[in-house]
Amino acid sequence: MNRDDVKARVYKVIAQVLKIEESQIEETNSFTTDLGAESVQSVELMAGFEEEFDIEMEEDEALEVQDVAGAIDFIGRYLD
Amino acid sequence: MTIEVKPLEEVSEPNTLDDMFDYSRPPRIVYESPIYEEINGEIVKFDPQEALKRDLVITDTTFRDGQQARPPYTVEQQVKLFDMMAKMGGPNGVIRQTEFFLYTANDRRALDECRALGHKYPEVTSWIRADKGDFRLVKEAGVKETGLLTPSSDYHIFYKLKKDRKKAFDDYIEIVEAAWEAGIRPRVHLEDVTRADIDGFVKPYVGELVRLSEQVSPDLHVKIRLCDTMGFGVPSPGVALPRSIPKLVHTMTHELGMPHECLEWHGHNDFHKVHVNGATAWMYGCNAVNTTLFGFGERTGNPPLEGALIEYISLHGDLCGIDTMMIQEMAEYMRSIGVEIAPNYPFVGRDFNTTRAGIHAGGLRSDERIYNIFDTTELFGRPPRVSITDKSGVDGIALWVNTYLGLEGDKRLSKIKVHKVARWVMDQYEVHSRMSAITDEELAQQVQEHLPDHFANRNAN
Repeated sequence: MNRDDVKARVYKVIAQVLKIEESQIEETNSFTTDLGAESVQSVELMAGFEEEFDIEMEEDEALEVQDVAGAIDFIGRYLD
Repeated sequence: MTIEVKPLEEVSEPNTLDDMFDYSRPPRIVYESPIYEEINGEIVKFDPQEALKRDLVITDTTFRDGQQARPPYTVEQQVKLFDMMAKMGGPNGVIRQTEFFLYTANDRRALDECRALGHKYPEVTSWIRADKGDFRLVKEAGVKETGLLTPSSDYHIFYKLKKDRKKAFDDYIEIVEAAWEAGIRPRVHLEDVTRADIDGFVKPYVGELVRLSEQVSPDLHVKIRLCDTMGFGVPSPGVALPRSIPKLVHTMTHELGMPHECLEWHGHNDFHKVHVNGATAWMYGCNAVNTTLFGFGERTGNPPLEGALIEYISLHGDLCGIDTMMIQEMAEYMRSIGVEIAPNYPFVGRDFNTTRAGIHAGGLRSDERIYNIFDTTELFGRPPRVSITDKSGVDGIALWVNTYLGLEGDKRLSKIKVHKVARWVMDQYEVHSRMSAITDEELAQQVQEHLPDHFANRNAN
């Protein structure tokens, strides 16, 4: 799966969990400060990524991911 | 003044100060130097190491002062509590004595039935007013030691007893001599001593008791109970008499020659100082601290027995035969007979080791030592818990779920795995405007719904 495919599916999950339009999302966005994710939503995002990509992420590392680009790269490593 | 700033010491392993904070025990209270107090213009040294070599004990007044604060216990309840108290204090007699009223048939039957259990400790004593006629009750009960109420402040002597000091002094001495004539050891309760004229009444009175004690056999020597009736006692150095506990005890031991083993502290909690005042009396020279179960006693209560037990373990660094599990059993029994214990009450309250803040729950999830006082699972059968509200965070919910499912180590579920339960909790507050904490039953239902396999495994196990 190439990076653009991962990015598209990451955007879809973010939009669903945070209840925003995909067009509002940019790679440089921070989940909390730019997109308004609260504590539970940060965990829900990770759960959404796991489900979307059928992966199981290491919890502490996953929750250290703070922004959209970081999430795309982090998930990409699991898919490799 | 030049202040030397020490460089940071990096370490490869955390220094958890295990000598003091051995998690398997209540943390040790380590004295590393003597305590100095200026008394009568002289610097007096109190050595905690010497204090710890004395036969420090706990005495109990659950069935006397404790009953003054509530409807009376039934005979059966008193016998049950006495039996549990004996097991709790252990074979070394850490809980050395407990005292009973003798005025009603039920009082006397309770005393008889407790004695019939055959426990060596706690020894049974009684409590009577300073009335010669009451000795008949003590003799008939076959009790070897009795407390005698002898108020020591002018508030009590003049306004309650309607006497002057000479009349009170003579009456008290007469009653002590009556105890000796009956072959009973008098334990003189200096009521309201922290509001008394120490030089003008207490010293002459106790001095006379010490002088007269020399004329009777040692097993009948007068004991003194220092009664901080209104909770005025203060533990810190430099405080003036009569409120200074260090000076009161020093007056007894050094000016009046009272032996440590004949001195007892009895406090009240009107100023929130009741436990520390008792512990202070131990250190400064009273061998006994008088307590009640869970601190129930007149008005604001007395030193809590279970608090004194934990203090005892902390001072000695050893359980000394104390059965700490029995503290919880006694609390459960008290609840079963309708006694209310506040949820945040130390050691036995429903929430004494329950955390609500998410950030604390996160700490507990990493290592329970971070937010638990000692191994409450081993010593009390009470693992640390989290109470779930909108402040618990996903950390708190994950901790609750793992505790509920009995999952430890690598088997614990991550925060990611419990996110649906966490969402349900947050929605209760954000969507449904809930104001109360989530109950365990509600959370269990969410675990069943969102983590059905784990729920089934828990029930299968």
